[in-house]
Amino acid sequence: MMRGRMKRSGLRPMWVMVVLTVGLLAGVLAAGWSPKLGLDLEGGFAVTLQPIEEASSDVLDQSIEVIRSRVDALGVAEPEITRQGSTIEVSLPGVTDRDRARELVGQTAELRFRPVLSSFPGSLEDLLGDLPEGDDGAGTDAGDDAEEETDDGAEVTDTTDTTEVTDGGDAAEDEAVEGQAGAGPATPFQDETTTTADGDTTTTTEAADDDGAEDPAPDGEGEQDPADAFRLTPREEDDPDAEVTLAEYDDDGNVVYTYQLGPAVATGRIVADARAELLLTGEWVVNLEIKGSDIGEFNARAAAPCFAREPTCPTGQLAIVLDSRVVMAPNIQQPSYQRDQISISGSLSEREAKDLALVLRYGSLPVALEIQQTREVSATLGSDSLRAGIVSGLVGLLLLSIYMIAYYRVLGLVAIASLAVSGGLMWVVIAWMGETRNLALTLAGVTGIIVSIGVAVDSNVVYYENLKEEVWRGRTPRAAAQSSFGSAFGTIVKANVATLIGAVLLYLLTVGSVRGFALFLGIGTVLDMFASYYFMRPLVLWLVRRPRFLERPRLLGVTTAAAAPQGGATP
Amino acid sequence: MRTFLRRLTSFDDDFDFRRVWRVGTTISVIVFLISGAGLLVRGLNLGLDFEGGTAWDVPTADLSVEEVRDVLRPEGQQGAKIQVIGRGDNRTVRVQSDAEDVETQNAVSEALAEAAGIDVVDISVSTVGPSWGEHLTDKAVRALIWFFIAVSLYIAWRLEWKMAVGALASVVHDLVICVGFYALFGIEVTPATVIAFLTILGYSLYDTIVVFDRMQDNAATVGATGKVTYSSIASLSLNQVLMRSLNATISSLLPVVAMLVVGSAIMGAVALQEFALALTVGIAVGAFSSILIAPPVTVWLKEREPRWAQVRARVSARGEVIPAAATAGPVPSAAAEVDADRPATPKRTVAPGPAPSGRPIPPRPRKKGKRR
Repeated sequence: MMRGRMKRSGLRPMWVMVVLTVGLLAGVLAAGWSPKLGLDLEGGFAVTLQPIEEASSDVLDQSIEVIRSRVDALGVAEPEITRQGSTIEVSLPGVTDRDRARELVGQTAELRFRPVLSSFPGSLEDLLGDLPEGDDGAGTDAGDDAEEETDDGAEVTDTTDTTEVTDGGDAAEDEAVEGQAGAGPATPFQDETTTTADGDTTTTTEAADDDGAEDPAPDGEGEQDPADAFRLTPREEDDPDAEVTLAEYDDDGNVVYTYQLGPAVATGRIVADARAELLLTGEWVVNLEIKGSDIGEFNARAAAPCFAREPTCPTGQLAIVLDSRVVMAPNIQQPSYQRDQISISGSLSEREAKDLALVLRYGSLPVALEIQQTREVSATLGSDSLRAGIVSGLVGLLLLSIYMIAYYRVLGLVAIASLAVSGGLMWVVIAWMGETRNLALTLAGVTGIIVSIGVAVDSNVVYYENLKEEVWRGRTPRAAAQSSFGSAFGTIVKANVATLIGAVLLYLLTVGSVRGFALFLGIGTVLDMFASYYFMRPLVLWLVRRPRFLERPRLLGVTTAAAAPQGGATP
Repeated sequence: MRTFLRRLTSFDDDFDFRRVWRVGTTISVIVFLISGAGLLVRGLNLGLDFEGGTAWDVPTADLSVEEVRDVLRPEGQQGAKIQVIGRGDNRTVRVQSDAEDVETQNAVSEALAEAAGIDVVDISVSTVGPSWGEHLTDKAVRALIWFFIAVSLYIAWRLEWKMAVGALASVVHDLVICVGFYALFGIEVTPATVIAFLTILGYSLYDTIVVFDRMQDNAATVGATGKVTYSSIASLSLNQVLMRSLNATISSLLPVVAMLVVGSAIMGAVALQEFALALTVGIAVGAFSSILIAPPVTVWLKEREPRWAQVRARVSARGEVIPAAATAGPVPSAAAEVDADRPATPKRTVAPGPAPSGRPIPPRPRKKGKRR
């Protein structure tokens, strides 16, 4: 019955394959999808990161988010940030500024609570635009950062004076931390103090002075390079024990507020939980729960000093800082809190509240990431490798075609066509993955594809050799083509599945380039099985029924034993 | 030559692989031991990715190793390893050192760029942490072990466990020889090399499975007569699949050699060179072992089974029957195939007809072939 159907529509699966391949290819081309090239083919910068200690996958995912937001800030076109087991791979195609990139991804993001020393709306540039910044600012910070200079209160005073430091930030933002149980009406409104401070800049100046004179930070670490007062502290210099100048940004990355912050009084590790909640008043708040073991210290180091406006926290504001960005700087309205009775309020939108809760919950990465490997490939080297790969691939294919056609004649052509079909589908898969999964084709992936070409040709060879053997034994090509496919395909499946097992294991268990290799080898192997069954088989079965080949089987590269002495199968 | 080719391509040839096995296995064992010894004594020349450190690839047409060393001296990197890779437009000087801090790395980059008269961004720089290589090796070794286990189980399931042992032996053989080759000649091992080794395992395994599949078929058909020893069956199977093995090897080698010659030698692409060299060695060794290692190991195991031991005793009493043309027939079609049910179904009813027993045709060409 099978044979009867074969006669009529034997070629149907083949046409389906061809139409499918051409259709998909056309679709991909029409959609403008093209394979995304990996770093080693395009040039760029890649970093492999690994946590120093065991890390849960939640934590790693959160790290990836932090890295992604940093990379986005850099404006990289198509960053590829993937987690492979416990390692994180970051590829930044086209990036040539190695130091910047390294700094971007390598830093540990930690959630810190810092008291606000002073703050003002807008960015430093807005305020310092007309200052001769060049000399002290840019000039000194490069060389002097590492050194600890003696504190120069006057400098800080100068800064604060010129910059009209105001505490108004909090008032404007209308944020407050209050104990739900009983936010004392005792807390005077921030505005009052603010107004005072506003009207008289010396208040803030005094705060800075106080900090320098009366409360010198131990080891001098808390002191600030005078030059730093003129600029935002770069991420790599964001020392938890030092005073820093950091900014709060809006969604578009513009600076909303600039803060001078004291040394961190707590890290995100103290956070037990944080949730956004909608109050009956229609206001969104974030309920923060601090670990029982840490609440005492939080009260002593953060709540009490800020509430009392001690010199370490003259503004009464406690800034929540993630990854060197101020997320929010609410006022402390109680001298001490119970661990599960803290709420952060102040005209938060739903999204803001939820984001803040998320930051508080996961923002602290209890794990530092270590750079294990960096790779910087120049664009020229990348394109050279690509060109060499393409040229040698084409030459290899050409040689292969010549050999296959010389040896198997028309069947050799079938093998090439079959290769073209699986190659076309491979292109579709690569383009699709590049477009939707952001998976890039690397040199290792190209290698996997070249290997899968070998596997695909092998499948053809297995079939043709079986076919030739049966013809040699005296069968007609037609009968032989039918019967030999069965055993040949059995062999093909066994061998391909073994290859596939290898590919899957390598993909799951390794990192980096081997993984890319395994992925494309696996895909190539699967496509080969499809092409063998739905393209090669129907086409060969059809060919052997053509009268022309029945008369001259040698066109198929096959020969019977009887015919051998006169002709021979080999050219 | 023509005769040789004809013998090779004919399907009736009764070349007795058992004679080659002895020689081949001996050679293999010797090469294996040399490789193993080389590996133990000389150790592998591990690349940057395994050792840690920093590497700079400087594209330059004329900078010599000595000039580069002079450039590096002021930076305190005179101990760096300097090689020239590729030629012509792709000539690259690779500098490798254990410099770990970013300042040194940047200083070296700038010095090299200045010496070569190029922009710093044209230099490719890789750094690897000191513990990364260990991590990488751990992962690779673990993956390899799981790969061996999974593939052995698969072969044991689809074929039989004795074949799994044979396949494993041949794959380990390939691996040791390839790695030993790298150790003996001091060629640097990079992640690309590791990929190449894995590829070799893939090819070798494919070849071996094709041979074993045929051996199993033949054991079920020819072997059922009880007149043929298992080693004869294996030899017969190898005769039958030899052309496939050769063609598969040639067709796998063609793209790789193209990569080696065109890609790396002519166009000077370094990454391709590292890869293609390992592959070229490995594919050759893999083809070799699928004929000369895997089958003998399995034969040796099989002939210890009572059934095949009996056959062997009986046959050796009567004198050996060489099965190739005499008993073989078009075996493959008659074999029971489990996994190709659908395409195989119609054929099975047809196959037994012409399949068994001595038709007059097969022996003829062999005689003629031999006379020539």
